[in-house]
Amino acid sequence: MLPADSSRRLVAELRGALDACAERQRELERSLRVSRRLLRAWDPAETPAPEPSPGRASEDPAAGKPASPASPAHGGAAPPRTVRGPPPAPALPPRTPTPQELKELELLTQALEKAVRVRKDISKAGQRSKTASLKSGSQAAAPAPATAVPPGASGRAGSRAAETRPSRGGCRASGPARTMTPGPQATKTGPGLRDQHEPPSADPHSPEVFRLKEKGTLLQLPSAYRKAASLNTRLWTQLSSTSMGDARDAAAAAKNRFLQTLQAAPASSTLSVAEVEAEVARLRAACSLLRLRQDEVLAADPGDWKQEYRRLLTLDGLGAMATECLQRLQDLRTVAEQQPEPWPEGRPPGTPLPCGPGTDPLWHPQRLLYSSTRELQALADLRLRVAMLKQQLHLQKVLMAELLPLVCRTEPPDLALCRAAHSLLCEGGQHFLCVLRDEAEPVD
Amino acid sequence: MGRRRRGSGAAGVGALPEAIAALSRALPGGPSPETFRRAKFDRPEAVPALRRLLLGLLSSLPEDGAADPDGQARLLRSALCARGYPRGARLPESGAGGSRELLLALAWLLAREPLLERLLARARVQLGDEVTACQCELQARPCPPAHGVDTEGPVDIRFLQWLMGKLQIRWRTLASSQWEHCALLGQIHAYTQGCHSDRELGHLSVPETEALRDPEGGQQLLWRLQCENKRLEAALQWRRCELLFWQWMDSVLVTCPPEEASRPPTPPRLSGLLLSPVSRELELLSRELQTLQEGLREAAGPLRVAWEARAGARGPELEAWQQMVQMAVTRELVALKQTWEHGRAPPQPHGPCRLVQSQAAVPAGLGLQAAELMGVLRSQEACLEEALSQLQAQCQQELARLSGALPGLLWILPSHGRLAPTPSGTR
Repeated sequence: MLPADSSRRLVAELRGALDACAERQRELERSLRVSRRLLRAWDPAETPAPEPSPGRASEDPAAGKPASPASPAHGGAAPPRTVRGPPPAPALPPRTPTPQELKELELLTQALEKAVRVRKDISKAGQRSKTASLKSGSQAAAPAPATAVPPGASGRAGSRAAETRPSRGGCRASGPARTMTPGPQATKTGPGLRDQHEPPSADPHSPEVFRLKEKGTLLQLPSAYRKAASLNTRLWTQLSSTSMGDARDAAAAAKNRFLQTLQAAPASSTLSVAEVEAEVARLRAACSLLRLRQDEVLAADPGDWKQEYRRLLTLDGLGAMATECLQRLQDLRTVAEQQPEPWPEGRPPGTPLPCGPGTDPLWHPQRLLYSSTRELQALADLRLRVAMLKQQLHLQKVLMAELLPLVCRTEPPDLALCRAAHSLLCEGGQHFLCVLRDEAEPVD
Repeated sequence: MGRRRRGSGAAGVGALPEAIAALSRALPGGPSPETFRRAKFDRPEAVPALRRLLLGLLSSLPEDGAADPDGQARLLRSALCARGYPRGARLPESGAGGSRELLLALAWLLAREPLLERLLARARVQLGDEVTACQCELQARPCPPAHGVDTEGPVDIRFLQWLMGKLQIRWRTLASSQWEHCALLGQIHAYTQGCHSDRELGHLSVPETEALRDPEGGQQLLWRLQCENKRLEAALQWRRCELLFWQWMDSVLVTCPPEEASRPPTPPRLSGLLLSPVSRELELLSRELQTLQEGLREAAGPLRVAWEARAGARGPELEAWQQMVQMAVTRELVALKQTWEHGRAPPQPHGPCRLVQSQAAVPAGLGLQAAELMGVLRSQEACLEEALSQLQAQCQQELARLSGALPGLLWILPSHGRLAPTPSGTR
């Protein structure tokens, strides 16, 4: 057994590593869900209706040319210029449902359930004649609730919509309905439009189904979005550009003056937490850069005596810098040890600079170009591997710091501990060694 | 400071309300311009809004509306002092007053770093599929946050081994999920080639496609984008009128009562709780540096010997040349030092990038090529593997020394290589 404080620290470190991994996994799963959904057949209730050229609201979606989502393209009730609050239901103001609506909702649910059943029959039988019953089913269901049923989509949407849509069916249907014709006429035009699709294709299932694979190239972003996105890029580029001329310099001077006046209070010689952290980060960066340069120098092939001399000088210089860093580190340690003060909230929630000390926290639009899926996978793999190695390296250092003293110190030596420590420290937990007594009797 | 006639250009006094208004629009949940003015005169009405803003900026704790104002005030004070705020002693300890001090604290934060830009970058709307080109943020928090430590007592080392194993399994699962994710991304990008209005991008990203699939979601995205645009415009406007703001802040500083010499400065600096992670980090770092130092000394040794042996019969030209080389090397090393001292951006790509699938051979200057990044990553990988195996070798030596001290036992090390582990390979 390990002593309590070591145990606590080690367990905390490992749990932290596990949590970080779990967090990445969760994010990845979220993205995976979204991507998988995009590659499946899109729910026609949400299928984007065609982007209307200005003025023409009821453009015929010929040959499956879904373009843009209805609501943003139109702006619906409001001109696209104005910003509305996050619109959960652009057409319906939030209010408690009346009994009438609840009844309609119930009818809608029943209709959808019926449609699911019918659809199941279709998929089992696979006969075209059934589509007629599907349409009649949807038409029977459609007029019943005043809030429009997603036209012609009740069958397809049934399985998913039945559980998630009924409460939002009203909102959602109003979306596509708006581009076709406003109001309940959509329910009639819907199946009508679908009629036009039915004959040409032999497959009763696929006419309205949108698949990214087949029709992805037909998509088009709405113009409101396009404008906003290009404005966004322009603004970011402006914001992150450093040159703004005289105004900027004057402002910088005024800023510094203000800072100095503020700091006119007796400057305390002690460092604050953030400063210590920043210094530590700098020293860490120094260490890795020094090591990198050392590797470069040592990896170079030995050349003539001039080059050798240069290498010698470089190594000496690097050594001097390492000594300097060690000195600074020692100073920091004395500072750190002299300053015990109770901290109410534990670790201060500072925001660490993401890319090392002093690098630009600004974001500006950058692109990463890849040529094939395989390349992307290789890249992602490498990134993951580097992250994993960094974590492993850190854990190795922590384990070494905690375990080696324990293993070397315990008298009599705890062989189980030695064996486990060897496995953790030297083999990365992958292999184990075997300890035998000389009498050929296995210890473990 | 009230309503004056609109001054011509940014230099007019009348532009100050615009500057403050721009600032208040650019800050997240920003206080109204009126709050700023009230704070100058230390009015208590300005306190809650400013305190809320500052807490939001500094602390990652969730907003707790029910938290007592006193507690919040203390928390704020600690957070600011931890950042090195020089006027920490004058910050209010209770929830009631001190709006002028809070305003000064806000101005201090704004002055020290590009706070607005950082906030905007943090809350950015992601329109593309993003990949960070660097891995720096992973190193920033080696210490886990203090979540409930349930194993207070001593643990068996086998528990640690189990945790390590679990970690490895999690990494593998992560790798396979990522594989799938990349495949899906590749498909989506391929299927939507030619759709994007921006010819340089060429195809849609997942958020954009999702916005098309789900009109409501698309509407939300658009709204968020428009909000961000507004904030960006406000930030740009503020940058233009910044000078006036700082001049005004100088005037605020002047209206403060003179410093009371008797007030003892009691900002908490480093804490006992904080001490152990910091000192452990310092310990680890010092070991690394020491190893580095020794390694450099060892490597320089033979080179020096060789040089001494050779530099017998040369003359003054040699000395001149030596000096020249010395200067060149010093220059290089100083440049190296600048890299970590002043954070000159390392010659490596960093920051989040939008993924773009492009078959074009060399769209030079358009963006970072994946192949370049992979090269960088491979060298990082090699470095890390090297470092790791060095450490492992070090441990191996230590433990071998230990085993040597124990007579009567045979230590059979596992055979190395990529075979399945067999416990009986003798070395």
